[in-house]
This record gives sequence, structure tokens and C-alpha cells, in this order.
Amino acid sequence: MTFALITFQTLLVLAAAPAVIGMIRKMKARFQNRQGASIFLPYWSLLSLFKKEMTVTRHSSWVFRVVPFVVFGSALFLAIAIPSFAAGILSASLSNIFLVGAVAALGSVFLVFGGMDTASTFGNMGSSREMTIASMIEPALYVSLASLAAFASFWSLDGIVLYFASVPMYTTLPAALSLIALVFVLLAENARYPVDNPATHLELTMVHEAMVLEYSGPYLALLEYASWIKLTAMLALVANLVFPWGILVAPFAGFAFVVALAAFVIKLALGAFVIAYIESTIVKMRFYRMQEYTSLALIIALGGLAVVLFTFAI
Amino acid sequence: MTKESLMHELQLRGEGTLQVPPQDLRMHAEMCVALGAPLVFMYATEEANAFRVHAVFSAEDGFITLASDLPKSSPSFPSLTRSIMAAHWFERLMHDQFGIVAKEHPDWRRLMHHENIPEGTHPMRKEFMWNTKLDHANVPYPMHAVEGKGVYEIPVGPIHAGIIEPGHFRFNVRGERILTLEGKLFFKHKGVEKLVEGKTPEEAFPFIERISGDMVVGHSLCFAQALEEASGITISERAKYLRVLWSELERASAHIFDIGNMGGMGTGFTFMAAQGFRMVEEMRRMYASLVGHRFLRGAITIGGAHDIDESGAAEILNTIDRIEREMKRILQIAYGSDGLMERFETTGVLSNEAAKAYGARGVPARASGVAFDVRTAHPYAAYKELGVNVVTEKVGDVAARFKVRDRELTESLRLIREVLAKLPKGEVQAKIAFKEGSALGAVESWRGAVINFVRLDSSGKIDRCAISDPSFCNWPLFGEIGPGNIVPDFPLCNKSLNLSYSGTDL
Repeated sequence: MTFALITFQTLLVLAAAPAVIGMIRKMKARFQNRQGASIFLPYWSLLSLFKKEMTVTRHSSWVFRVVPFVVFGSALFLAIAIPSFAAGILSASLSNIFLVGAVAALGSVFLVFGGMDTASTFGNMGSSREMTIASMIEPALYVSLASLAAFASFWSLDGIVLYFASVPMYTTLPAALSLIALVFVLLAENARYPVDNPATHLELTMVHEAMVLEYSGPYLALLEYASWIKLTAMLALVANLVFPWGILVAPFAGFAFVVALAAFVIKLALGAFVIAYIESTIVKMRFYRMQEYTSLALIIALGGLAVVLFTFAI
Repeated sequence: MTKESLMHELQLRGEGTLQVPPQDLRMHAEMCVALGAPLVFMYATEEANAFRVHAVFSAEDGFITLASDLPKSSPSFPSLTRSIMAAHWFERLMHDQFGIVAKEHPDWRRLMHHENIPEGTHPMRKEFMWNTKLDHANVPYPMHAVEGKGVYEIPVGPIHAGIIEPGHFRFNVRGERILTLEGKLFFKHKGVEKLVEGKTPEEAFPFIERISGDMVVGHSLCFAQALEEASGITISERAKYLRVLWSELERASAHIFDIGNMGGMGTGFTFMAAQGFRMVEEMRRMYASLVGHRFLRGAITIGGAHDIDESGAAEILNTIDRIEREMKRILQIAYGSDGLMERFETTGVLSNEAAKAYGARGVPARASGVAFDVRTAHPYAAYKELGVNVVTEKVGDVAARFKVRDRELTESLRLIREVLAKLPKGEVQAKIAFKEGSALGAVESWRGAVINFVRLDSSGKIDRCAISDPSFCNWPLFGEIGPGNIVPDFPLCNKSLNLSYSGTDL
């Protein structure tokens, strides 16, 4: 049963990822009074990329060819480990916060290698920026996750989500700051506003797009898909903490299954709406102000930690 | 300073072009500039037994042209660039076109010719046939490089990620900070100046309209004015007002596009782009229904302009009323967004001194406090009667250029309304007959001043047509604007200038 649920959850995240991106794009278009493309367009984009011929430059090494698989593997792990649809179905150690953080970082680092391997200007520029942002946002990531872990007394994301789902909502209020910090991290880690502009065609301003600029065809499809999966999984995690309802917990009854599925869809749609709203109302930050963004995230995370520890003290 | 007193100071006499010996050209030019008549244009012509270099200065009440005849065997003159920066590209261009050497020029590389053009190719000489097949050469074009620890070179283009015209930019950076920035343009030479030679003005007109796709009225009006002056054609009052109408409509739609593009594409404030581009599209459809062309081709004719009727005027009024209302709301949101203004302010500063030295034209110059606008400096069409408030800002950053566009848009819409209210009745098209002669034309297009020189031969055909597009004068500004900024802010600086590649590489 557990195994079947793990498989189902993973496939669900994989299947939902393109639609989440499609929803964000559609909502952004609506915010601009545009009609926007169908939310199912990303599925077709992926399919057409998989069918396309691939060009790999002579000046690249084996690293270039390995990167898409490592990055996709890292995203796949996030889809498996992060409790997005059901909680309490995994061994707690697999979703240990440090393990999840490390695997996510592995994906980022290999993406950086991929950007640098061809020695193209933009790849290196994007890689340099990605490493700068990643190293600056990492403290906020771990502090906020650790505060949540301390609050829930579990070192696994699974335990944290279970704890949030099991207690009345008002008792989770002390963790609010940590959750806000986690949203900051989510935006930075997934190359969204105000850190990166996923829709830009200006090669000089790109971060994530610059790193994948040299990829084409199926490799590009893998990298794009990986970034969508990562966003979807992280969005589901934050949504499950902010709205700890409807997640599937034992006993896994038929009706609860339907409710959980509906909750999953609604939460992702809400998450997509929030991202689309943010990206329609603010501008991308100047790159040299990124440290202000990341320091703000860290300060909020530290504040969250203080609140959590204070809650324990009283 | 007026032409009269300038000539008195220079101790030169004469009507029209003032002939000076080549060795004195620099001295006279320096005096003109020092006396407050900036160098605005340089071009060369081929005479019976000499190449003639012309330098055009803008005095208070008109243009003053100094010219020097150089022997065909070894055409050379002392470079003006040493003391007058604005001559920099003009002198290099004249070398590529005619083989005229500006001695002691500080940066004597080719300009218009790319690497594949063989040395000694001078296509504007009469002996060079326009359809000559050139050998494939590989002449090196060294670009400026900075050496030092942690200094990197970023080559960008000429092929870009977006669909834009070709231009190569070479950044020398340390981290994200730009140390130097140099552009290399001229990848798609069209040879307009050569192609129009020997054609009648009517035959040449379509070429001029197509110099820069989004500046049709600017270029065609400038060309028409030069022709009319050279041949002594007077245009009707109604045509004068109509010319203002089409010029200001072109300016309005271009500024709306730029406002949307700077906010939307430059910083990622996407709703501005979506709204701005929608409004520009509405205006283009209106142009198509009024003139028959979305980019206003055919709005200006030699000796006249495209006429409108009552319903056309009503349509224009309705459209601009609605657009003004909507733009007001969008700009309110834009100015209210701290994030947006933070991106604009202090980015890409062009100092007043640099704007003057480089001979910057149009919006970037006015945003840096240079109050030059051909519409008021050398009024044409009906601008004298209508009066124009020249918009300037002081700071010279992206925000200043944004504000100049915003305020010029308001002024343009005011002018359009005034034209429609005062439009005189009567004939539009004047009778045209061309005769031998030459003249300068100058127009303030939405990008800045367009200045043309046209000379007709005895059969009324074009003997020489020298065109200077504002983009040509503003591209070198990047070397000034870029350094000190960070690489990801360059596209924003670029959008705040919005220069034409096609207009530069005629």
C-alpha cells in the first residue's frame, strides 16, 4: 500500500508540474489583460522538445551530457521525498531536511556545471549568478527548515507536515515567520521574481535560462521538466504547511483519497496564483540588491527561529 | 549665436556654404563650437576635381556649413575629433565612403565596412558601381580590451536570443561591473545613399521611407523638405499642418511603445509592456485605415502630405483621448512602483557634458539637460505657429529618459489636438518640378534630429544624398552610459535609448 502511494504521489507531481507552469503563465497573462496560452501548452512543449533533434557542441565534455540526468534525478527525488499528496507514507529519514536540502543543492550545482562546461559566455555568467544566489539563500533555507523541525520536533519534512496536519491551526501560528522565509527561499531557488525572470529573452539578464542556453532537444526537455517538478514539489510543501488540510494520512480510505486529490489541485492552483500575482505586481530586482533580498529572508528565518524557541520556553 | 555674428567672428563672408582651406577647417570648427554652435553633421561630396568635406553647425537661426576641397589624389584634412568628439564617427564614415583621411584621428579603424570588405573600397565615389562584386577579405577589426586580474570579456551578438537586429557588443567586466563597453554595428549595409544617386526624387522616395522602419515620417519629411528647398517648392498651409499631425502621431506611438518596453521588457514589469504594445497596435491599425500603411508610409509626400477628412479627424481624436486616459493610469502605477523607479534611477547615467561632447540627439540629449529640439531651434512645417514646449530633464539616467518620453507624449497629443482644431482649408499637394540645387533638411523625428543634405543635378536627379540618422550619433553614447553599471542592467539602458540599427547602417 505504502509503495503504491509513493508511486502515485510521485507520478502525480510529475503529471501536475507542466500544468502548474501553464497555470502560472495563464494567470500572468490574465493579469496583463492578455488571453494567454492554454495551461496544457507546457505538455506539448515538453513533447516537442523530446521529439526534436539535439545539438551538442564539440567543445563540451561528458559533464554536459551527465548534467540533465543528475538534475532530473534530483528533481525526481524531491517529488518522491516531499510530502505533497500524502504524509506518513515514507520512512521519515528519506525526507530529512538536510538530505532534501542537499539533494536539491546537488541538482543546482550540476546545473551550474552544465552551464560552465561549454565555456560559453552566457552559461558562465548564469552559473556565476546562480552560485552567488544559491550561497546567499542557503542559510535562510536551513534556518527556516530547522525552525520548523524544532517546532514540530521532527527532522523530516514528513514529520513536520504530519504535525501541522494533526494540531489545530492556531497553534501553528508561531511558525508563520519561518514559513514566510521559506516562501522567499522558494522564489529564489526556483528562479522566479524578484530574483530571476523566467520569461525573459534578454540573455544578459538571465540566470537559470542562461545556464540551459546551450541545451537543446531532449536534454533541454529534461532540464526544463526538472525545474518545473522542483517548483511543483516545493510549492506543494509550502502549501501543505500554510493550509494543513486535506493531505492524505493513514488510514488511507477511499473518500479521503478523493478529498486529498482535490486539496492537492486547489493548493497548487493557489500557489500558482500567488506566484503569478507576485510576478505581475513587482519588478525584477537589480542583481546587486540580491543580498538585500537574501539577508531579509535570513533575518525573517532567524526571527522565526527565535519565535519558535521562545514558544518552547514558555 | 546667430549666423550673422558667427560669420563675423570667423571673419568669413558668403552665402550658403563657406569655403575654407583644409588646414583651417579645424580652427574654424573649434571656434564655431566654442561660440555655441555645435557640430551636428559632417558629410563629403565628390566634385569635378576634388572631394569636398562639409561640417554643419547649428547656429541660433539656422545651419552654417563649412566646406573644404581636398585633392582627389590624396584627400586628407586635419581631424576635428581631437577637439570635437561629435566628429568621431562622421570622419570614420567619410573614410569608408570616400577614402578621405582625417589626419591624427584618435581611433582610425573602419566603421561602416565590416571585416569582409577589402581595403581601399570606397563605395560613395562616383567611379564605384553600385553592383560591384567585392572580393571576400578578412581585415582585422581589433576591439578594445582591458587586461588585469579578474577582468573578463563578454561578447554579445550579433545574433541575440530575442528577435532584434544584429549588433555586436563587447563588454569588459569585473564580476558583474562593466569596465568598458563597445559596440560594433554595420552588419547589414543597405547602401541607400549610393542607391538613390541618379534616381529622380520620386524614385528615391521609397528608399528613404524604408531607412528605419519605425521612423518613416521622420526620414521622409526630412528628405522632402531638403528637396523642396533645393527646388524652391512652396507647400500649402494645410500640408504644413498635416505634416505636424503625422510627425506627432509617429512620435506618440513610438513613445508609448518605449514607455511600455522600458517598464515591461527592461525590468520585467510585464503589464506595462502588454498594455503599451496593445495601444501601439490600436494606433497602427488607425494609421492603416487613415493612410493605408501601419507604419505611416505615404503620410508624407514631396510637396505635400496625406490628407484627412472629417471622419478621420474624429477617429484620431477619439483614439488619442482614450489612449491618453489609459496611459495616465498606467504611468500612475509605474511611478507608484518603488521597485520600478529603483531600477530606473541612477541606471545608465549620461552626463550633460558627455551628451554635448558626443553630439547626442533627441531624447537622451534632452534627458541630460541639452535643450535642443529642431522643432523650436529651426522650425519647419507649422511648428512655429503651433509652438512646442521642449521637454528636458537634468539627471540623464534611465528614469530621466522615461520622464522625457512621458512628457513629450503629452506634448505630442496636445499638438495633435491643436492641429486638428486649426487645420486650414485648401489644397494639400503642391505642384512639383525639380531643378538643379542643393539644400539641407532637418527634422526632429521621435528619436531625435534627422539631418539630410540633398543635391540635384541639372536634370533634376539626385547627385548626392547624405543622411544622418539620430541613431548614428547616439550609438557611441553606450561607451559612456555602460561603464559603472552592472551587466544585467545593460538591456534596460539599451531600451531607454531605443536606437535603430537599420538607420545607422544606411
